[in-house]
Amino acid sequence: MHMNWKPNPYLIIGIATITAPIVAHAKIYVSIEQAQKILIPNKSLVKNPIIITEELQDKIRSASSIRYPFQGDRIWRAADGSWFIVDEVVGKHEMITYAVALNPSGAVTGIEILEYVESYGYEVAEANWRKQFVGKTAADPIKLNQDIQNIGGATLSCKHLTDGVKRVAVLYEIALKNQTLSLKAK
Amino acid sequence: MIRCKPLLGTFVEIRIEDQSPPLKALDEAFLAIEQVQSLMGFHNPESELSQINLRSHLEPVRIHPWTAEVLKFAKEVYLQSQGIFNCGIGHRLVKASLLPKHNKLNDYSFGGIEDLQFIEPSLVQSPLPLCLDLGGIAKGYAVDKAVELLIANGIQAGSVNAGGDMRVFGNRSQSIQIRNPSKPHELIQIGSMKVGAIATSSLYFANRNTSSKSFMVNPLNQEHIEFSESYSVVASRCVYADALTKVVSISGNTRHPCLKFFSAQAISIPTTQST
Repeated sequence: MHMNWKPNPYLIIGIATITAPIVAHAKIYVSIEQAQKILIPNKSLVKNPIIITEELQDKIRSASSIRYPFQGDRIWRAADGSWFIVDEVVGKHEMITYAVALNPSGAVTGIEILEYVESYGYEVAEANWRKQFVGKTAADPIKLNQDIQNIGGATLSCKHLTDGVKRVAVLYEIALKNQTLSLKAK
Repeated sequence: MIRCKPLLGTFVEIRIEDQSPPLKALDEAFLAIEQVQSLMGFHNPESELSQINLRSHLEPVRIHPWTAEVLKFAKEVYLQSQGIFNCGIGHRLVKASLLPKHNKLNDYSFGGIEDLQFIEPSLVQSPLPLCLDLGGIAKGYAVDKAVELLIANGIQAGSVNAGGDMRVFGNRSQSIQIRNPSKPHELIQIGSMKVGAIATSSLYFANRNTSSKSFMVNPLNQEHIEFSESYSVVASRCVYADALTKVVSISGNTRHPCLKFFSAQAISIPTTQST
């Protein structure tokens, strides 16, 4: 068991503030297509957008404590009745785009984070984190990753995301379940 | 390739530097973390940890080798820190509504990790009721397990980061940033690492209102403690880094003698007054 660690010399002499602060941060993890392959492997998915009526939006909202409206245009269905849904949650500190896979009976089979953005409403912060992505595309993922930070520090809770997954479950109960059933009936 | 999943109450990021890694390596690494969560989670009344808390004072409890390993690490750090690290403080966190209540609490009667006895390598019991919380050590262990699985799958270089507790491996030096405790959205570059682990303790993301208590409890006097700086520990394994951050932040001593025993180093980032 060994270790290879080089402390920042400025920190050793106790003047941490001398190092220019790097402003946190946004990360793109996987694309929608990659997440589909990870969560529902070897099945072809067909886009299955649904119209979110005001009534449905209200039901989703009251069931999950998330106010940010749900968008119905990022829903896919597999031939066996599995679902792949992309949604976003916006917290005090963060905005997270995530994908949820549901099996034909609506149970969550996997969750994958697509994108994570820390936003404090500071223009400067925004400009800085965007710089990380300038000139980078999803086709160049290795390079993208190498340029993005390893961030240590206190735990950011994933509670908001848990609420997000709850509202996807509600969406299934209200709007998707029937589609699965009618599919079986055919 | 870099993937992220919500696990262990936070966001777990696994990064692989290899050009075309086998996808199963990442899946297996995430599964290992899920398994640690289901074995050792306090929130889950079905977890082995909850079974220990419920029954170990009544009868021997059989546990998974991973749970046994974490408990042994916990006992080791308890001994070396002379009790500053003790995961037998779950009842204090339940009382402060920071952890869920699964059964009745009589707070005068709980033992600590020192009371947990191994009858066999995977069989434990305790003379006193226990309310262990592995929140201060299991996350680091999960990170180590994930790294072991990546290496076993032939991955050359990468990192696993569970909400700020991380371990890196491979042949490329990686720059490590931690959050500035004064302004958590700003990062401070604290060094670079090829092989090793780092964990950090601080209270800046605790999302607390003024009336709620800190999740950090000093086992020696059972008091909730407050601090504004952040404490990071660098060690070979994340399980040690994770546990030792509690020793350093509770004692306020970045040169605590037990760091040397684990070949670890501590770094404190003070809060600055300027905004």
